[in-house]
Amino acid sequence: MHSTQKSVADSFSDFVESEEKDFTLRDGSRIAVVGGGPAGSFFSYFLLKMAQAIDLELEVDIFEPRSFGYCGPAGCNHCGGIVSESLVQTLAAEGIVLPRSVVQRGVESYVVHMDVGDVTIESPVHERRIAALYRGNGPREGGDSELESFDGYLQNLVTGLGARVVPELITGVEHRDDRPYLKYGDGKGGQYDLVAMAAGVNSNIINMLNELPGDYLPPKTTRGYICEFRSTKEEILRILGRAVHVFLLDIPRFEFAAIIPKGQFVTVVMVGEDLDQELVHAFLNDPVVRRTFPTNATPCVCSCSPLINLGARKRPYGDRVVMVGDSGITRLYKDGIGAAFRTGKAAATSAIFHGVSAGDFEKHFWPTCRNIVNDNRVGKVMFATNAIMKNSRLTRKAMLRMAQKEQEKENARPHMSTLLWNMFTGSAPYVEMFRGTLRPGFIYNLLLSVGAALVPGRKKTAQPRKKAA
Amino acid sequence: MSRKSKRADKAAETLDRITPAFRPVQVEKTAPCQVGCANCGDIRGWIGLVAQRHKTGSSRDQAMAQAWQLIAEVNPFPATLGRICPHPCESDCNRAELDEPLAINAMERFLGDFGIRVELPLPRLRSEESEEWIGVVGAGPSGLSFAYQMARRGYRVTVYDAREKAGGMLRYGVPDYRLPQQVLDAEIQKIVDLGVELRLNTRVGTDISLEELRSRHASLYLGIGAQMGRGLPVPGGDGPSVWTGSDYLARINQGEAVETGARVIVVGGGNSAIDAARCARRGGADVTILYRRSRDEMPAIAHEIEDAIEEGVELILLAAPVSVEREGDGRMTGVQVQRMRLGQPDSSGRRRPEPLAGSEFRLPADTVIAAISQVPVLDGLESLDHDGDWLVADSHGAIDKDTLVGGDAVSPGIAGEAIIQGRHAAESLHARLRGLDPDKASDPVSPPIEPEDILLASKKGCEAVHESRLQGEQRVAAGMGEVAKTITEQQFLAEVERCFSCGSCYGCEQCYMYCTSGCFTKIEEPTPGMYFSLNLDQCKECGKCVEVCPCGFLEISQPSA
Ligand SMILES: Cc1cc2nc3c(=O)[nH]c(=O)nc-3n(C[C@H](O)[C@H](O)[C@H](O)COP(=O)(O)OP(=O)(O)OC[C@H]3O[C@@H](n4cnc5c(N)ncnc54)[C@H](O)[C@@H]3O)c2cc1C
Ligand SMILES: Cc1cc2nc3c(=O)[nH]c(=O)nc-3n(C[C@H](O)[C@H](O)[C@H](O)COP(=O)(O)OP(=O)(O)OC[C@H]3O[C@@H](n4cnc5c(N)ncnc54)[C@H](O)[C@@H]3O)c2cc1C
Repeated sequence: MHSTQKSVADSFSDFVESEEKDFTLRDGSRIAVVGGGPAGSFFSYFLLKMAQAIDLELEVDIFEPRSFGYCGPAGCNHCGGIVSESLVQTLAAEGIVLPRSVVQRGVESYVVHMDVGDVTIESPVHERRIAALYRGNGPREGGDSELESFDGYLQNLVTGLGARVVPELITGVEHRDDRPYLKYGDGKGGQYDLVAMAAGVNSNIINMLNELPGDYLPPKTTRGYICEFRSTKEEILRILGRAVHVFLLDIPRFEFAAIIPKGQFVTVVMVGEDLDQELVHAFLNDPVVRRTFPTNATPCVCSCSPLINLGARKRPYGDRVVMVGDSGITRLYKDGIGAAFRTGKAAATSAIFHGVSAGDFEKHFWPTCRNIVNDNRVGKVMFATNAIMKNSRLTRKAMLRMAQKEQEKENARPHMSTLLWNMFTGSAPYVEMFRGTLRPGFIYNLLLSVGAALVPGRKKTAQPRKKAA
Repeated sequence: MSRKSKRADKAAETLDRITPAFRPVQVEKTAPCQVGCANCGDIRGWIGLVAQRHKTGSSRDQAMAQAWQLIAEVNPFPATLGRICPHPCESDCNRAELDEPLAINAMERFLGDFGIRVELPLPRLRSEESEEWIGVVGAGPSGLSFAYQMARRGYRVTVYDAREKAGGMLRYGVPDYRLPQQVLDAEIQKIVDLGVELRLNTRVGTDISLEELRSRHASLYLGIGAQMGRGLPVPGGDGPSVWTGSDYLARINQGEAVETGARVIVVGGGNSAIDAARCARRGGADVTILYRRSRDEMPAIAHEIEDAIEEGVELILLAAPVSVEREGDGRMTGVQVQRMRLGQPDSSGRRRPEPLAGSEFRLPADTVIAAISQVPVLDGLESLDHDGDWLVADSHGAIDKDTLVGGDAVSPGIAGEAIIQGRHAAESLHARLRGLDPDKASDPVSPPIEPEDILLASKKGCEAVHESRLQGEQRVAAGMGEVAKTITEQQFLAEVERCFSCGSCYGCEQCYMYCTSGCFTKIEEPTPGMYFSLNLDQCKECGKCVEVCPCGFLEISQPSA
């Protein structure tokens, strides 16, 4: 096609084509959504809602080979399943009301465990409570899980709006005649006016997009580890209470772990650059963890090692393509579902009200992404600081002490508590948290605590508080 | 054991390890269709060649030709069996768990017709010629299958048959409305094209002695079938207007008109009875079938019985003739019939019919067709080992050192079985003549994959294709015209996509797509069953690939104890 001398006819048809190049969606436009996880569903949800509002009829095909009714990794998009109450509220305001069968509400505290002691941090502000959910239909061999699939719930919601879920894998993406062309798992394929990539980062498809316009590069990733243990509801409530337990331990190579009670199951989540079976083993056998673990738990009924998005390296859009959720830009280490919501909505808004060219996405989609990217920069600094602090017994003690103090005093300004809380849930941007740490009160209290930690004192262990249902 | 229970075991074994290691291994498994019948060959394989043509880079016609060849490996009669086989292969199809089994038989028929239409030659196995000259008695499906399998292995083969034409019961038993003779001719011609010599009108045992044949040929195969219909053992049963089913059908199938009068009674419950009844119906008669047991015990193919009833054949169950009534001049007037009831099971496991005293009634009749049973004709062949009417063979089909036997002559069955026995005999003879391992059977031995191992949750329902068929009255009006049409190419191409490819990789790419450790590598020139190579160096043992594998090809590897 790359002949240097173009015939008159060719030039003319180029001219006609460029005149015809139209990047707005019209009645009958075909949109493919690759991946029916939260990003794919949120995008489709807003796309169809907004189209409805302006009386635009679109054909939306969501490609998702996974059945979220299936227990275990085959039907699951593997994550810790923690969402902030504020996200649940935001979704409700958008018309996505998550029923009790999908979200387990009422997680009211965090317990931070360190070798130097534990501290329970109550939800600092009321709306900042958290909720737990399962992405798939519960763990492998867990047909009796109390929670239904979150991803499945969203999928039903969008099929209700008229999206078609095609249970096919997309195996390749090409650019043909100015339109993206998707290759389906059965060897066939189809052409679309717009493709939303919502395949997350746990799929090789995101490494196959080099044919598309734009200069997309797949996000950098690191590995997480998730496993589920089965016990009894009573035992889990007795040991773990209604709290999410996070661990800042001084195990070599260890970075972060959380234990989340979910009915008769316990989800263990670990994150780190250098995560392997040995480290998982070391963590699960650490005395601090052992004492927080239901005694009669059945070892690991389900596990996976998913990748976590550490930030996209290039702009996640091009002509007629847009990357939403993990395939594009997401929050660092937390609130991935919230980010899927925000990027999905922004991409849909741009597509419906502005257009689907790279320029349209640049103007109307990228700002949402940019905010996340900028905030992640701050987040990185904070995680680095946190890592330094948690790696020294002294600073660990100081953190513990400061948080404990705050939790004891009703009227104390909960600086450290808010910080720890926010680090682990999605409610606040990293920027906001960072500003908090710059307040004189925080620094003063931290210094005080460091000082106090130097003086050997009574060892204090706060037990998780059990709340009535 | 299903993959799931293996997984549970695995978890129990590794209690001490906290996290069990789920390492995948690729294991091709037997598909249930292949266990149902060994005669459509590698069913999953030939379907896969067409269904996966987009992935393997074959054109539609190439893929269909390859598929035809794969069937022809074991069965040179796909167009024939595609029409008449009761298709046991379909009954265990895992697709039934979701909607309907695959229409394997209809697809086989399509491919068979395709093979005839584009004149595909049967595939040879060896190019060298062998010295031995092999003789075959009987040009029915069993003898021809044997002859084909020997000829394609390079042997000179001569087939002797007493009849004027080859085909056995497929020609002289099965009527044209189910199997047009041109279809049979075309498939037999392919075998002849391979160099098989047919010596027709030659009855072994009378026209030429068995001994002469033995001295002429290195080895013999006997596929003589069961040619003789048993008569009606009741008073008046041996006079005029009483036919055996085999004689009656042989006449009809040779295009001779048979005068039956207006009222025909057929006695029996097998395929011959049903076919005779349907032929008589097409001749314009009112036809009643008498069968002494109940419908469940009828040996005929179930849908054939259905078809006969739709065509207006009356079925009287639990009834048997006790005498044929005749006028003084011998002309038949009717049949005395006795009602039966089922008593204790007999040696065949079926409940024995017992007469009900005082239940006799009369049916007017002009013709009686006794399709009770057929037995082999052993005239001049009495020296062969036989038990009563039937020849006796060992598990390799050998009746003595140089003679093999198979098909209906050993025990009456369906054409597919006769073809399998012919092939097995050829495989074992070839192994013996060439000094190969005789037990290396070409049929699957491992148990079939279980439906739990198919990831049904991700499949969408879709009805099977059905051949378009004439309705009952139309069928009778069409006479010997074929009752069902071959599915169209479009229908065929849609139907192949319904296959789950149970136990064999079909390149869905999910393992490859979802393994974030890069354990799976695409094979450059994939073939059905072979799409990815597996390297576990980076495996995180999460087992996700096994979980998402929709066809049960991947499984958790078991530690070698
Ligand atoms: C260990 C860990 C813990 C986490 N914990 C939390 C948490 O507690 N709270 C939180 O909010 N977030 C958490 N996250 C982040 C969260 O999982 C992601 O941000 C979120 O899943 C992103 O949603 P998504 O729709 O973009 O992608 P995904 O959820 O990954 O969904 C992608 C979908 O695309 C489909 N797909 C992939 N490839 C193809 C293809 N080729 N064709 C068709 N379909 C395809 C997949 O089947 C899948 O359904 C965690 C992540 C990890 C790894
Ligand atoms: C009416 C009828 C309908 C049937 N319908 C079906 C059906 O729908 N589906 C199905 O699968 N099966 C059906 N069958 C069964 C099927 O036809 C037989 O199982 C099959 O034909 C057996 O094959 P064979 O080669 O063993 O014997 P045959 O087909 O009987 O062939 C034997 C051949 O040997 C020849 N022969 C015998 N003795 C000698 C001799 N001494 N010398 C030379 N030649 C000799 C005969 O002439 C004949 O050609 C039906 C059978 C009948 C009778």
